[in-house]
Amino acid sequence: MQRDVHDLWWGGFLALFGLAVAIYAALSYDIGTLRQMGPGFFPLVLGGVLAVLGVLIVIPALMRESEKRPIAWREMLAVSAALLVFGLLLDRVGIAITTPLTVLLATSVAPHKGIVWRLALAAIITVLTWAVFVFALKMPLPVWPRGLVP
Amino acid sequence: MSPLDGLMHGLSVALQPSILVFSLLGAILGTFVGVLPGIGAMAAITLLLPISYYISPEAAIVMLAGVYYGAQYGGAVASILLCLPGTPQSVVTTLDGYPLARNGRAGLALFTSMISSFSGSIFGIIVLVLLAGWLSQMATQFGAADYAAMMIMGLIAASTIGSARPAKSLAMVVVGLILGLIGTDVNSGVQRFTFGQTELMDGLNLVALAMGLFGAAEVINNIRKTERHTPPDRVRLSSLVPSWSELKRLPLPILRGASLGSFFGALPGTGSTISSFLAYALERKVSKTPEKFGTGEVEGISGPEAANNSASITAFVPTLTLGIPGDPIMALMLGALVLHGVQPGPQMLEARPDMFWGLVVSFGIGNLFLLLVNLPLIGIWVSMLRIPFRWLYPAIIVFISLGVYSVRGSSLDIAMVAGIGIVGHALAQAKFNPALLLLGFVLGPLIETNLRRAMLISRGDPMVFIERPISCFFVIATVALVIWPLVKVLRDKVSVRQESL
Repeated sequence: MQRDVHDLWWGGFLALFGLAVAIYAALSYDIGTLRQMGPGFFPLVLGGVLAVLGVLIVIPALMRESEKRPIAWREMLAVSAALLVFGLLLDRVGIAITTPLTVLLATSVAPHKGIVWRLALAAIITVLTWAVFVFALKMPLPVWPRGLVP
Repeated sequence: MSPLDGLMHGLSVALQPSILVFSLLGAILGTFVGVLPGIGAMAAITLLLPISYYISPEAAIVMLAGVYYGAQYGGAVASILLCLPGTPQSVVTTLDGYPLARNGRAGLALFTSMISSFSGSIFGIIVLVLLAGWLSQMATQFGAADYAAMMIMGLIAASTIGSARPAKSLAMVVVGLILGLIGTDVNSGVQRFTFGQTELMDGLNLVALAMGLFGAAEVINNIRKTERHTPPDRVRLSSLVPSWSELKRLPLPILRGASLGSFFGALPGTGSTISSFLAYALERKVSKTPEKFGTGEVEGISGPEAANNSASITAFVPTLTLGIPGDPIMALMLGALVLHGVQPGPQMLEARPDMFWGLVVSFGIGNLFLLLVNLPLIGIWVSMLRIPFRWLYPAIIVFISLGVYSVRGSSLDIAMVAGIGIVGHALAQAKFNPALLLLGFVLGPLIETNLRRAMLISRGDPMVFIERPISCFFVIATVALVIWPLVKVLRDKVSVRQESL
């Protein structure tokens, strides 16, 4: 057991975020009047409310203990990397290369050893992707690297 | 159009092959994701959102709705056989469903849940037809103040009812509202929180936000969890047929659950999850043997299952007739409709009869299909439970990327999904509910517009919210919702002090 660090961090962050939104809105946009609300009115109110809620989250968390719920850093990294690789490569090399790479990156954090199932899964998902998106839905996606196929 | 004409018209729409196929596809897909722990209706609808661009709006909405109610059926299967609710709506079903399955009566539990789900849905459809017609006429009397008050009540209800920490839920809603501010202010044309980025002028992309929160984040949350499930025993079709004395126990709980669910489903802010919990409490209260609940009472399955299915149908009432989504899934549905250029509202019944009545009839067809197909196919669903998550999530990641990319061919959007996914995971570990963020995001611009219009009409007099009867009702309900948790906290404190004395 340890202090409820999640709520402390998030409550603090949300309070500051709300404050920043309110201040930014007050400085940048016209607040207007109750009758003629300007574009700054709603953000100012929302930012203020969030700041109060953030404090309301922090206060009970100071006096409370909580179970440990660790952040899954490795999984977070692998999933983000898989998404980014897909986004960066798709245009350049097409789904035939991007998809297996993404799958292999994603499975790198799977709690199961072995290489065969990873390769097989990469092949199956690549074929499925082609069948669903290119063949059935006729999305205009590059399949092979540019220049390879006329 | 009278309800009967409407239903006939809907039948002609829903039976068109191009619509029927997507309706049944959605229902099956929904059951599939409902059975699989780790992927819910929310994630599935999000993943299908971009694909729905490629089909007609009617087919798209019918398919997405099919995923929603299909997931209710599937969720019950995982709840009963594994005690692993596939969806939040089916958590209650574990209480009596799993004990029944442990006692070798899995068949009875599954049959009860299927027949109750089906009956609840049919009840919900009837309520939807009656209520939608009435409400679209009522809606002409809804002013800006009434809309604003109703939406604010919906948001507060969604974050306070049944929430252990209302401040955290409300904070999620407000973050959603703030994210909804990004983009061009419709009233003044001012760019808010865009920081000079032209991509942000139309606001944050709903698809990217939903994909990050319910796709990427859910994958990160679940990779480590429950890699292996204990394979359930084989369920034979013959064991699905209940005895006459068991059958006799079902109609009343179904009727009570369906009535309860229809009511809370149509109310903004309360939805199928809350309905199922309330129905369970009600069944326990009226039972002659309340002490047996939790050991495998069929009433504990049939009431909640009827309730969550009827609620998931009547949830479409405010979404379609007022254009106001009452829960996060409906917010996603509304987003899907708007992406297709359909603006739900009081004119929907008249202006888009194909859409409205086609959807209503597709509910009936889809539910009947699930009832007829799911019982014989139960063996297939059981084997689905054995699919390890590691085979699924890489495909989900590819699906997310392609879905987001297909919206406007932007690699930047995929990067945004990755970022939102990281934040979503951190939120989930801190037990925040990201679904509420999405609800706030979709409702935000609607609330602001109506609030500003109401104040303009009333010349800056906030009393307008109390003077108008409809809005006054919602204001009172909102105040009650805020005060109630405070009263409860104080009462608990007092009772603790008394005990310590």
